Amino acid sequence: MTLPSSPAGRLAPRLSRGATPGAGGGVSRVLRRAYRRHYFHAYLFVAPVLIAFGLFRVWPAVQTLYFSLFKVELLRGQLTFVGLQNFADLVGDAIFRQAFVNTVIYAAVIVPVAAGLGLGLAVLCHEPFRGREVLKAIYFAPMVTSTVAAAMVWWWLYNPQYGLFNVFLRLLHLPTSSWLLSSTMALPSIILFSVWKTLGYNMVIYLAGLQGVPQEFYEVATLDGAGAWQRFWRITLPLLAPVTAFILIYNGIFAFQVFDQVFVLTGGGPANSTNVVVLELYRQAFQRYRFGYASAQAMVLFLLILGITLLQFRVSRRYEVTY
Amino acid sequence: MGRPPWWGVLLVLLLLVAGLPGAFAQPKTTITIWYPAGDITASAFHFRDPTLFLPFEVAHNVKVEPVALVYDTMQQKIFAAAAARDVADILFVDQSWVPGFLKEDMLEPVDPAKARRWLDSVSPEMVELSDYGGGKMFGYPQYGIDVYGITWNKAHFREAGLDPERPPQTWDELRDYAKRLTVRDAAGNITRVGYAIRHVGHPHGVVHKHLWAIWAAGADLVDNPLALKGGQPKFNNPAGRAALKLVHDMIYVDRSTSLAFPDPRAAFLRGIASMQISETVSIRARQPREAPGMPWGTGWGTALPPVPKAGMRPVTNLNAWMYTVPRQARNKELAWRLIEWVNSEIKDYELAKRFEATPRFKANWAKEPFKSDSYAQTLLKMYPYGRKYPINLGLNGIMDALGAAIQNAWHNRMSIEEALALADRQARQAILDAAK
Repeated sequence: MTLPSSPAGRLAPRLSRGATPGAGGGVSRVLRRAYRRHYFHAYLFVAPVLIAFGLFRVWPAVQTLYFSLFKVELLRGQLTFVGLQNFADLVGDAIFRQAFVNTVIYAAVIVPVAAGLGLGLAVLCHEPFRGREVLKAIYFAPMVTSTVAAAMVWWWLYNPQYGLFNVFLRLLHLPTSSWLLSSTMALPSIILFSVWKTLGYNMVIYLAGLQGVPQEFYEVATLDGAGAWQRFWRITLPLLAPVTAFILIYNGIFAFQVFDQVFVLTGGGPANSTNVVVLELYRQAFQRYRFGYASAQAMVLFLLILGITLLQFRVSRRYEVTY
Repeated sequence: MGRPPWWGVLLVLLLLVAGLPGAFAQPKTTITIWYPAGDITASAFHFRDPTLFLPFEVAHNVKVEPVALVYDTMQQKIFAAAAARDVADILFVDQSWVPGFLKEDMLEPVDPAKARRWLDSVSPEMVELSDYGGGKMFGYPQYGIDVYGITWNKAHFREAGLDPERPPQTWDELRDYAKRLTVRDAAGNITRVGYAIRHVGHPHGVVHKHLWAIWAAGADLVDNPLALKGGQPKFNNPAGRAALKLVHDMIYVDRSTSLAFPDPRAAFLRGIASMQISETVSIRARQPREAPGMPWGTGWGTALPPVPKAGMRPVTNLNAWMYTVPRQARNKELAWRLIEWVNSEIKDYELAKRFEATPRFKANWAKEPFKSDSYAQTLLKMYPYGRKYPINLGLNGIMDALGAAIQNAWHNRMSIEEALALADRQARQAILDAAK
């Protein structure tokens, strides 16, 4: 069926008047030209975005791939081809390995925890109760706060001598912690901050998803004698699968690129215990001036994110539900 | 749309005409200076004084614009800006960064004749800091140079039954004093450390604060500190291990210091640390604001850091912030003229006196107030024991590696031996990379 608004649809009467029957090649040529003329304007409108995207996203990515094969000396303007040497050096780099492991731990914890808590909060806020909107606003506020500003506040909250967390622990007669100053507690402390920062966003997305679940399903299930837990497990969760997939993919991509909070809260320390891949490549590029090597690290991170995202897409398709 | 009212047009014209003389009176050139923000170095405060460069601005019809950058990212910003050919005309930089910049061929050398004149006129410690081999200079060290010393809180000493005029002289004394000065609450938590350490943050900062022990024990960052290229790291040895073990024992055996305390200078000034070793000039500059009840002389004292055994020669860090001109500067000639003006003998005296800092020129040390100022004279006595950082082009990587090793060892993520062995491998690679 041809849509009336499409160029082919609008051209149909003109063609029936002007085109000679049997001249198939001529018709398709006219159609192609009409298509081109029609879409030219569309391309014109999206051109600024495409150009900006190409310049500031695609081109740097291509250049990073290119630089990863060179020893780059930006100030001297010298590029020396080293092939895959930068990638080979990564294998034996203990600090990069640690940064990689820390990044994976960070992502593996924050993505499911923030998604799970976001879902819990969304289910809670989906029910009508007094102060619901205030609660939603409180949970969403961290999302719209600058990460750096929020991290500075948390830096003080974590202060072992004066921070609120230790003050509360002391009030409860519980042992205090060194938080960011401890090599064992620093990464969990950053994860806690990130969960707090991400939770509100996940809650809002899940709330939107919950509003799309038809009420009849719950009514029928209730009539069949299903309890609250069964309704959640058998109806809510499966029907929210596409939303969950989106949250896992979206949060996963950002979790692997974590930088701001680590940079502000610990700078990667103590003893590299919170060093992550993006921070490490930043250090290699801007502290050690090894741009080629840093580019190779960026490519590894890119491949990791690509692989995990494709895997998530594949897995999430299995749980797609049509209703 | 109607015509604009005649009075509106007249007003705009009048404003334009009135603004013309002002526009013409603007200086033609702006010289930018990048310096570290905050408390990182005492002398950086001076750039906030709007009158600092005023005579130069008037004399040369230029505008001097100091721009503060955060210390932790300053080095990276400079490098990125230089690569983009959009860097400041003058860089006021930490001397330990200079080899990294030289590796990238980023700094202009000082004119040889002017360098000779400078080296002939300044005090010996300043000669050591300025000379990059054979009288070659890449900038001028600032007045009020940093010499590291142990600073102690005299009230805490009295409280612990220690002589407030006698700081620890040996490592054993340091451990003993620190134990006696540590205070705990009823639950046994440390509320005041005897000795505060730096164990987090920029690896360079961690090395800076412990180099006194590494040097005193007989280890070093590299085997030939005065060579720009080549050489080997010299810290993965018994001396290096002993230096790291000193603090490790204080953390885990004596429990006289703690990983739960902040930067040693901040801890000392807040009264939650009794002793610390770092930049004495910084304590001097910050104390009146941050700890007004602890004045120099009666409240706190400074001396050379302790040595491993009695009779050994003390050693400490001598570090400066330097005025340098990057090769990518837009106004090189004016930048050099400004640097030479601010580092002249007259300005050295005037500014050091105004900001209560130590001068650089031999002639100025002979004048008042420096001649009889107790703090300046204490520092002057410490200078001969000061040692500057190696000038090896791989210094950045060496400091990164050793800084991480110190953290790994003190946080018990690795044994001291493993941490230093790993750092040794990384430092060797940094030296090799820099020499290419």
